[in-house]
Amino acid sequence: MALIIHAGSTNKNAMKALIVAEYTGVKVELVKDFQMGVSNKTPEFLSLNPIGKVPVLETPDGSVFESNAIARYVARLTDNTLFGASLIDYGRIEQWIDFATLEIDSNILRWFIPRIGFAVYLPPAEEAAISSLKRALAALNTHLASNTYLVGHSVTLADIIMTCNLVLGFSRIMTKSFTSEFPHVERYFWTMVNQPNFLKIVGEVKQAESVPPVQSAKKPSETKEPVKPTVKDAPKEEAKKEVKEQVAKPEAAEEVVEAPKPKAKNPLDLLPSSKMVLDDWKRLYSNTKTNFREVAIKGLSFVFPSFKKLISV
Amino acid sequence: MALIIHAGSTNKNAMKALIVAEYTGVKVELVKDFQMGVSNKTPEFLSLNPIGKVPVLETPDGSVFESNAIARYVARLTDNTLFGASLIDYGRIEQWIDFATLEIDSNILRWFIPRIGFAVYLPPAEEAAISSLKRALAALNTHLASNTYLVGHSVTLADIIMTCNLVLGFSRIMTKSFTSEFPHVERYFWTMVNQPNFLKIVGEVKQAESVPPVQSAKKPSETKEPVKPTVKDAPKEEAKKEVKEQVAKPEAAEEVVEAPKPKAKNPLDLLPSSKMVLDDWKRLYSNTKTNFREVAIKGFWDMYDPEGYSLWFCDYKYNEENTVSFVTMNKVGGFLQRMDLARKYAFGKMLIIGSEPPFKVKGLWLFRGKEIPKFILDECYDMELYEWKQVDITDEAQKERVNQMIEDYEPFEGESLLDAKCFK
Repeated sequence: MALIIHAGSTNKNAMKALIVAEYTGVKVELVKDFQMGVSNKTPEFLSLNPIGKVPVLETPDGSVFESNAIARYVARLTDNTLFGASLIDYGRIEQWIDFATLEIDSNILRWFIPRIGFAVYLPPAEEAAISSLKRALAALNTHLASNTYLVGHSVTLADIIMTCNLVLGFSRIMTKSFTSEFPHVERYFWTMVNQPNFLKIVGEVKQAESVPPVQSAKKPSETKEPVKPTVKDAPKEEAKKEVKEQVAKPEAAEEVVEAPKPKAKNPLDLLPSSKMVLDDWKRLYSNTKTNFREVAIKGLSFVFPSFKKLISV
Repeated sequence: MALIIHAGSTNKNAMKALIVAEYTGVKVELVKDFQMGVSNKTPEFLSLNPIGKVPVLETPDGSVFESNAIARYVARLTDNTLFGASLIDYGRIEQWIDFATLEIDSNILRWFIPRIGFAVYLPPAEEAAISSLKRALAALNTHLASNTYLVGHSVTLADIIMTCNLVLGFSRIMTKSFTSEFPHVERYFWTMVNQPNFLKIVGEVKQAESVPPVQSAKKPSETKEPVKPTVKDAPKEEAKKEVKEQVAKPEAAEEVVEAPKPKAKNPLDLLPSSKMVLDDWKRLYSNTKTNFREVAIKGFWDMYDPEGYSLWFCDYKYNEENTVSFVTMNKVGGFLQRMDLARKYAFGKMLIIGSEPPFKVKGLWLFRGKEIPKFILDECYDMELYEWKQVDITDEAQKERVNQMIEDYEPFEGESLLDAKCFK
């Protein structure tokens, strides 16, 4: 029986356990038809998690909440190296998991959540959050200057959790000019999100081009649900606040600067449809930061099957 | 070789691993002569933990930082039941460890740290922290209603970490009236801290009798060290901020807002003392963001002392002059600036009323003493521009007018408010 995660498909916290499952071969599925703000308010859900937060894992033996705990549980279901090869490695994996949560994720959220209007925006609090985040990223950058992975010489649970937390930061609020101060963190992040097991779950990541403008604060209340945009367009933030996904697109559309549609019909739109999607190639080209030949050029043949014959990889 | 923890003896985060060691028999010691703010700034320390935070564990195989990771590491050194007896128990232990950290500890700190002056104090942020903390404690209370321990039937790592985090809350900021809403959490906490292995490391815990008053913010900087009081007296807060213990008391004393000694004796200081403390009212007024009527207005009348204080309505005599909105607002602003000499003895609300000129200016004032203080009449020339009438608090209509002026009620006497200014 597959394990079931109660969360939306765009929830970066649910992705932690899903990526673990890709590495270990365990079957974990997202529950069908999950509606943020609705599904997690039912009495049945609250019996799984009395604080009503998301994600929650359902197993044949009972439920587990808190995304890091879920990821650890899934990682322990089989023998693998996600917890390291020695006890000191284990200690350090736990250390970086906690650091990823308390130093990186919490400060990204303190900066981001008020800006999208789900908590009161207070400039001195934002200043403190950015300052704490920079301090944490500087420490992480120092560590990654001499380490490819957080611990040891391969992906561990620490990398999975750290990367999922950074996905929110990179895609929604940390622009290139912000992260360029931390080049080893940049190198680490792009390498991780392009690993096949990450790519499969997270999808393509585009770095934010600007910091979200300050919205007027919408206080979350018992009845009203704030909104989260969908991830595959714009990788989303952490599901601590209750959110209605269906409202996402209009709200996201207001925020995103879209290219205006030309009103006259372009003759190229009238051509017979093609399997090739130009944007997919452009994204693959842009996001491939390392191993360009192996990933992007090879990827060309998967994106455009008819090209396979032309490329020798 | 014993494992060494770099931390002060009063650090509740270091206590997590020390309590684990009591349960498992592993030898873990605190490093000798640790000085917060000094020992953790050295290059040697930063090579152990690049972010320079405390505690850090030193082992023969290398170092580990982050207090929960240290506790987990120590727990894994031997066979024991701290991680539970089954895989699902393990998952739930990790779940409650994360909950203890992200829902309980983080919200306690968001409330506590600004109040002791180590981060900027912002009332809306405090309100959000308290609200989140209550939500978390309610969920914990629900779980503990049918569970003695967080997981299974004996102490696990989840209980050790949860209890250490609650120690800070109970001893420094969560009073009995706050925690009485969560009786199962109370029962759980007191049971845990009285277990011998906890008692040995934490010592005796006394519940806070009051919330720390707001201090002025001291920004922690590279060279200057903020202060933490010792734990056995007052179980201390999390060592994320660097701190010199010996500097604690004098620095805390400097920062506390002491009533300035008046240069000349102000006659109001010679009045018989009153139970009402003006500053308490000003804080209640300022900090109440929701349910203003039920919390602040009610609180005002609860604390009001008609023997020690008096209430006055004022009405500007020359409203026909008030033809331009911003000029009118500036006039009232000027009045309040000139009232600065009275700040210790007065609270006021000035309303600018009307949707079109001429605007009416009316106010409500609370003064120390049963008369309008003479020194204010002498020093502040605006006072004679207003008609003053004492509020008769036996008249319900006048009391209601007082309430409406305090809370900026609109429509006020049938009209909208252009502006409301507060003197506090």
